Amino acid sequence: MKVYQCAHCEYASVSSKYRCPSCGTGSLQEQEVSSKGSVYSYTDIHIAPAEFAHLAPYTVVLVQLDEAKVKVTVRMNSEVSIGDAVDLDHVENGAYVYTK
Amino acid sequence: MTNVYIQGIGMTKFGKFVDQSMKSLLLEASIQALEDAGNPKVDAVFVGNFMGGSISNQEILGAIVANELGLGYVPTAKVEGACASGGIALRQGIMGILSGEYDTVLVAGVEKMKHASTADVTQAINAAMDTDSNEKQAGLTFPGFFGVLANRYFYETEATKEHLAMIAMKNRENALNNPLAQFRKPTTMEEIMEARIITSPLGLFDCSPTTDGAAALIISRKKGGVHIRASAQSSGPTQMQDAADLLSLPAVRESGRLAYEKAGVSPDDIDVVEIHDCFSMTEMLAIEELGFFNKREGWLAIEQGQTKVTGGKPVNTSGGLLSRGHPIGATGIAQIYHLVQQLRGTAPNQVEGARLALAQNLGGTGSYSTVHILERL
Repeated sequence: MKVYQCAHCEYASVSSKYRCPSCGTGSLQEQEVSSKGSVYSYTDIHIAPAEFAHLAPYTVVLVQLDEAKVKVTVRMNSEVSIGDAVDLDHVENGAYVYTK
Repeated sequence: MTNVYIQGIGMTKFGKFVDQSMKSLLLEASIQALEDAGNPKVDAVFVGNFMGGSISNQEILGAIVANELGLGYVPTAKVEGACASGGIALRQGIMGILSGEYDTVLVAGVEKMKHASTADVTQAINAAMDTDSNEKQAGLTFPGFFGVLANRYFYETEATKEHLAMIAMKNRENALNNPLAQFRKPTTMEEIMEARIITSPLGLFDCSPTTDGAAALIISRKKGGVHIRASAQSSGPTQMQDAADLLSLPAVRESGRLAYEKAGVSPDDIDVVEIHDCFSMTEMLAIEELGFFNKREGWLAIEQGQTKVTGGKPVNTSGGLLSRGHPIGATGIAQIYHLVQQLRGTAPNQVEGARLALAQNLGGTGSYSTVHILERL
């Protein structure tokens, strides 16, 4: 998985930024890290917008990656608890779909 | 500190008004505010509105107000900042007066949502996310965001779903006394706890409704009425996955910090508060971020009843977004409407002797926040 790490401070994100929002001086550099992580928090979405209604109910999980100080918002189709180990299953229409 | 004062207030009833247009609601609130202020000359108009273009196909709201009210060829603008559109419109009016350009400004907010289908409204609201992101593609929604926050909050504290229900219950009890509120039907803790789940752990009563309604203010450099002691605004992360601390809303914290600094007051000095409770969980975090209670201890204050009308720090005595209703562009102005009533001593759920009041208005998943501190003269 691609993450973006500041060259001057500890800030990192799953999305690129023009300038590091934390230190304001550094620029972010692309890195490849493992997609493995753990469940930081989650919700089961029962009422979904029209474009995702066919998937409901589905689970949206905030994953803490193991190899970077980065969190990623993903979709899952199984019940989860905070702390569960999870990994990327596939990418679908720009969404990371994870599995336990 | 500003040299800007609130001279007039107006507000429609909040609810479902299928036979009224967005324009008629907007004009009703604006005329009330003008009459309350004694019909002064108005130098500019700012209107807070979020989805008039997408679900009512109606823009140019500023010019419509100026034209229909016969205000003359004054400058006007519509202000969009998602659910903070009203608070940002007020701030633009204040900045216009502080710049020296205007003496008196009409600031209004309006939304018309009830005529559209839930799917269309949900789609329109999703425009307030960063739609070009893996997070949006994962299927996250606004109630979903606050559901994720709630589960983490429960994990890190001793709070439970019952504490969220206490917030919903308090705001419903407050709305029962507010003649302009959308929901004036009593409920019970059992009904709140057992309501259908929207985004776990949040149920129906944890989520603000869709609403039709408008509110308006006349603000002026002319001394009198209620003093706007401070106006502050901040931005925050536009994606959940970018939050440094998931249980923080940095825009709320920073706009609060700036407002206290500008006003020269502390959280302890504030007598009555209107907070942007788009979800029960949002109120839980905002009472912490605004410094009323310690981080991760808001649930204790709720349990002790400290945010009730009879508590030490009354929050959302209007009923809040959860029960007064949430016509998106009008919400930030409706908060001020209620707090001016509190400072005039004429509010439903009046807090005796209220002198300093604080309003906090949020947009997006913590993307925008405004804080205004008001003072009785």
